[in-house]
Amino acid sequence: MHLYEVLRRPLITEKSTKLQTQGKYAFEIADEANKPMIKQAVENAFKVRVTGVNVVTVPGKTRRVGRRQIQTRPWKKAIVTLQAGDKIEFFEGV
Amino acid sequence: MKVTNDKIENSQAFLTVEIEPAEMEAPMEDSYRRLSQKTTIPGFRKGKAPRAVLENYIGKESVLEEALKQLVPQAYEQALKEQEIEPFAQPEVKITQTDPVIFTAVVPLAPTIELGDYRSIRLSPDPVEVTEDNINDVLEELRHQHATWKPVDRPLDYNDLAVIDINSEVGEKPYVKKLGAQYQVLRDSASPAPGFAGQIVGMRKEEIKEFKLTFPEDYPNSEVAGKEASFKVKLSEIKEENLPELNDGFAGQVSPDFKTVDSLRDQVASSLRQRAEERVNMDFQERLITTVIEQSQVDYPPVLVELEINRILNEQARQLQMTGRGMDEYLRSINKTEEQLREELRPAAAKNVAASLVIGKIAEAEKIEVVDSEIDEGIDNMTGGATDDKKEELRKLLDTPQTRESIKQSLMTRKTIERLSEIARGPAKAGTRAKKPKEAKK
Repeated sequence: MHLYEVLRRPLITEKSTKLQTQGKYAFEIADEANKPMIKQAVENAFKVRVTGVNVVTVPGKTRRVGRRQIQTRPWKKAIVTLQAGDKIEFFEGV
Repeated sequence: MKVTNDKIENSQAFLTVEIEPAEMEAPMEDSYRRLSQKTTIPGFRKGKAPRAVLENYIGKESVLEEALKQLVPQAYEQALKEQEIEPFAQPEVKITQTDPVIFTAVVPLAPTIELGDYRSIRLSPDPVEVTEDNINDVLEELRHQHATWKPVDRPLDYNDLAVIDINSEVGEKPYVKKLGAQYQVLRDSASPAPGFAGQIVGMRKEEIKEFKLTFPEDYPNSEVAGKEASFKVKLSEIKEENLPELNDGFAGQVSPDFKTVDSLRDQVASSLRQRAEERVNMDFQERLITTVIEQSQVDYPPVLVELEINRILNEQARQLQMTGRGMDEYLRSINKTEEQLREELRPAAAKNVAASLVIGKIAEAEKIEVVDSEIDEGIDNMTGGATDDKKEELRKLLDTPQTRESIKQSLMTRKTIERLSEIARGPAKAGTRAKKPKEAKK
């Protein structure tokens, strides 16, 4: 798996913007990605140093489409902690 | 905040206001708060998105715009205070630059009116003349109105009434097709086609005639203008006009009130005179006002003319509504855009504005006042047409501050014009006032 395929998109939500004050940034990541890969991908993409990676699997949810019930896909979210002082400019309000 | 007053022209002040960036912060913050409350950004609850996120999502310009909506009027007020300007109407504000914010405001100022020496104007209404000929013309017309039509057996002549069946075509298309139509044969009638009357004159009863006529190029109906039409006419009856004798009996026929021809003649003469007087009077007032305006120096902001044009247009639209046609249809029928119509109305509107300003000023100078009782009278006049039980109701409906104000205005105008006429007619005696103001028709 190529490094470029690891990070799918930045997550910009109420919760994640709050975390940014602590130097933590959230991404939606590829299902197959693991922590070392994420660390490398973030460091390469944004030229920052990563001190920690936490990964959460967001469970798929049951949604109703008309009369049918469908399951949304589960996906993986990574919360990356940067070394103090580093910043990802990209997130400055996307 | 920096305010510069560039110039004053046409009773308008041109202000340029520059808002310093430091003054922008608070309004921007305010604007962010308001906008964030009503913008939904995915990932955030309403009102919870940080400013940076919001600015990125809806664009910084939107936030700025929202801020300016509040800031500009405030800054405008403040600028007016600083420059000690009394605005007369809504300004025209244009934002020319946003960083730093600079806007210009064109502020209409109160019109300045300098009256000329209106007391020296000497004009008099044209003499009213009703000649014997005028009266005879009216009487003749009355005879025509009361004429009887009698069938005759002779060739058709001008001024007869013909009953005809008509069938006509322009090219292949049917044009006019009627059975048993009553047609008054007038020498220069252009209906249904110029020269039609000339063609059928001389026909006998039951005669059928076919002929061709060419419409002139400038015929109002563009569909047939310049084309040839073929007509087929069958004459079924000829009627001759029988004018009643001008005698006492005829007078009674016109109206039972008249016993003799002389009384009818008197009535005609007096109504002619009255109409002529009204016309002369109106013309006189018109001339008078024009002279007064010419004499005076009137300087007013152009918005007033625009407002007047709007008023005229609204009035027209209302009237058109009553006839069941919309403004759009009217515009199409006269083949003009609204812009063109506005342009056309401009000179008249400008004159109205000048007139009302000058009259207002004169009313002030002459200390013309309208007292409450006169307004009451005006309202009474308006209720005049209603029946007694409705009267009180209507009265209540009309007795609003707005109506009172508008009645007051029109009375004021009327009185001022009367005063002007008085002055213009003869040597003015200061403080004289007509005891019984004549009903000047507007």
